[in-house]
Amino acid sequence: MFETRPSSVQHPTEHRFNPYEMNGGTIVGVAGEDFAVVASDTRLSEGYSILSRDNPHLYQVLPKTVMGSVGFHGDCITFNKTLQIRLRMYEYENNKKASTPAVAQLVSTMLYSRRFFPYYVNTIIAGLTNDGQGCVYSYDPVGSYEREVYRAGGSSAALIQPLLDSQLGQKNQGSFELNRSYTVKMSKEEVVALVKDIYTSATERDIYTGDAVFINVITKDGVVTEHFKLRRD
Amino acid sequence: MLSLVQRNEDEVLKETRSIIERSCIPPGISSIEMPPFRDPKTFLAQYTKPDSAVKIKFNRGTTTLAFKYGGGVIVAVDSRATGGSYIASQTVKKVIEINPYLLGTMAGGAADCQFWERVLSKHCRIYELRNKERISVAGASKILANMVYSYKDMGLSMGTMIAGWDKRGPGLYYVGDDGTRVTNNIFSVGSGSTYAYGILDSEYKWELSDTEAYELGRRAIYHATHRDAMSGGMVRIYHMKSTGWVKISEEDVTDLHYKYKEAEARQ
Amino acid sequence: MSIMSYNGGSVVAMAGKNCVAIASDKRFGIQYSTVSMEFPKIFEMGPQLYLGLAGLATDVQTVSQRLRFRLNLYELQENRHIKPKTFSSMVSNLLYEKRFGPYFIEPIIAGLDPKTSEPFISVMDLIGQPCISKDFAVIGTANEQLYGMCETLWQPDLEPSDLFETISQALMNAFDRDSYSGWGAVVYVIEKDKVTVRELKTRMD
Repeated sequence: MFETRPSSVQHPTEHRFNPYEMNGGTIVGVAGEDFAVVASDTRLSEGYSILSRDNPHLYQVLPKTVMGSVGFHGDCITFNKTLQIRLRMYEYENNKKASTPAVAQLVSTMLYSRRFFPYYVNTIIAGLTNDGQGCVYSYDPVGSYEREVYRAGGSSAALIQPLLDSQLGQKNQGSFELNRSYTVKMSKEEVVALVKDIYTSATERDIYTGDAVFINVITKDGVVTEHFKLRRD
Repeated sequence: MLSLVQRNEDEVLKETRSIIERSCIPPGISSIEMPPFRDPKTFLAQYTKPDSAVKIKFNRGTTTLAFKYGGGVIVAVDSRATGGSYIASQTVKKVIEINPYLLGTMAGGAADCQFWERVLSKHCRIYELRNKERISVAGASKILANMVYSYKDMGLSMGTMIAGWDKRGPGLYYVGDDGTRVTNNIFSVGSGSTYAYGILDSEYKWELSDTEAYELGRRAIYHATHRDAMSGGMVRIYHMKSTGWVKISEEDVTDLHYKYKEAEARQ
Repeated sequence: MSIMSYNGGSVVAMAGKNCVAIASDKRFGIQYSTVSMEFPKIFEMGPQLYLGLAGLATDVQTVSQRLRFRLNLYELQENRHIKPKTFSSMVSNLLYEKRFGPYFIEPIIAGLDPKTSEPFISVMDLIGQPCISKDFAVIGTANEQLYGMCETLWQPDLEPSDLFETISQALMNAFDRDSYSGWGAVVYVIEKDKVTVRELKTRMD
């Protein structure tokens, strides 16, 4: 009579195992007036060992949309693969490529579809809006998301985010007035230089970040990738 | 079906089971995968501990409030999201605009609120198309309550207020993650709610003017952000009128803090 | 819930050219609720010697007072001001005495040598393992954020005024991303002939 949730799956015995691993990595996204920058280091770790020194955590999901994804590498690549399939389906069904804001919403629902067995991923989506403005979206592992001006994610997030607040958000520089702009007022070159600086610093203190950084600059002409070396210890 | 006889029992069983499984997916959205284990709540709890290497941090922590008065419903919220002690964001939109006559608020798991209120807005739209009239606040909040109730004990975390305006006038409901659904004149939800209630209860009356009501909501949220570590960022205020909701203001709480201090000093 | 973050708070120290700076937030909270906004974590231990303590508030007070007591005895016995390095050892000793039931605090010692005026900064863990650094030291609930800020903002040979600006920006932007620190800040810039104390206007949420 008082049946609660119908439990369809039978559970005779349950063997516990740990389905997650923290594989490190740091991603940064910045939205400019007519460009977006998304960067990632290339280190992949497991505990104190380095699995790879050449594994950027960036995934180009569309010609002008790049996803940065860190956390459990297995979940990152599975999520990326599933997203690619869903985007292809979108293209066939709608006869056009998905816009970055559409990708952003899709990513959110996909993450939430695993609400009860989450993907262990921190995600940033960077690209351009329909009117050519740079845009950055950030997510928690179960898909709560927000459009932001800049965002750091992954193992060095806590080290980098306050720095972005200070250098890009102009925080604590006199005024506490709200900044309603969705983009930074800097040029591509300035942002790229700042990103390099930030990664150099983060690498000093975070063992899960290092080796090199890949910087993707997204403009209306496509994605340009830059490579910058970091310390390898 | 003609091939049924040829198939072995196992296969038939499998198919039957999958049909049952599909039909048993709770209302709401069918794309939420059921976990391959019994108790997702305890499963997830392992990875939210601060000493775990794998940290699945959901964004949470909040102060939200809403109250009915002569002029409608006021909804006021802060904008901070925290993952552990780390402040993940100071610019979260905790008022979810379901449609021009319905607002939802966000407390608890950010994703849970965002997702389910998006599903709710779909249901409300479908209702409108089917019935050629807007859904009532009571109805909308009940859809939400029923949806989350079907996931009871699976670890959803949300404390939401649904504010709106329908045939009966202003409406305000609280819907909790356990399926609770109650209506009242004043609600405040979240870690900073006790502070907000303190201000709200001392100044609240039905006959408030619009500007007094905005100021009450603003002060209540401000005081909560001041004392509660998990609340902060800015104060957002919405006003639900007979003509639908209007966004009243968005102010940084630090700005407010020094304004209030200055005003205090002048007295 | 870690006992080290029960009350919250952060301290940072930086070395400059013939000067050092030390700064802390002013929050005293009990987990999520902020009880006091007038709880600095920096203590004057000599004319050019300051101690910063972050961690459990009761231990912050106990340790600062016990150190004051030991320091008074030292100064009476020796009839001179203590060297920062010696004081650092004193702190280390006091903490190691409680090796198996430690005070839940981490200290930063910042000062200038009374004779040579050489900048000195040391930081240690809760059982007194010291680490003398020539650039900066950070402790408290916002330590990760502070590391990120200091690592990029700090540069060698900063003049006192630049050092003040750097340490203030580092501290404020760091604790604005930490829910357990903030609610006011105090900065000490220690020079050979003077110590400047400034209160910062910060976010109050």
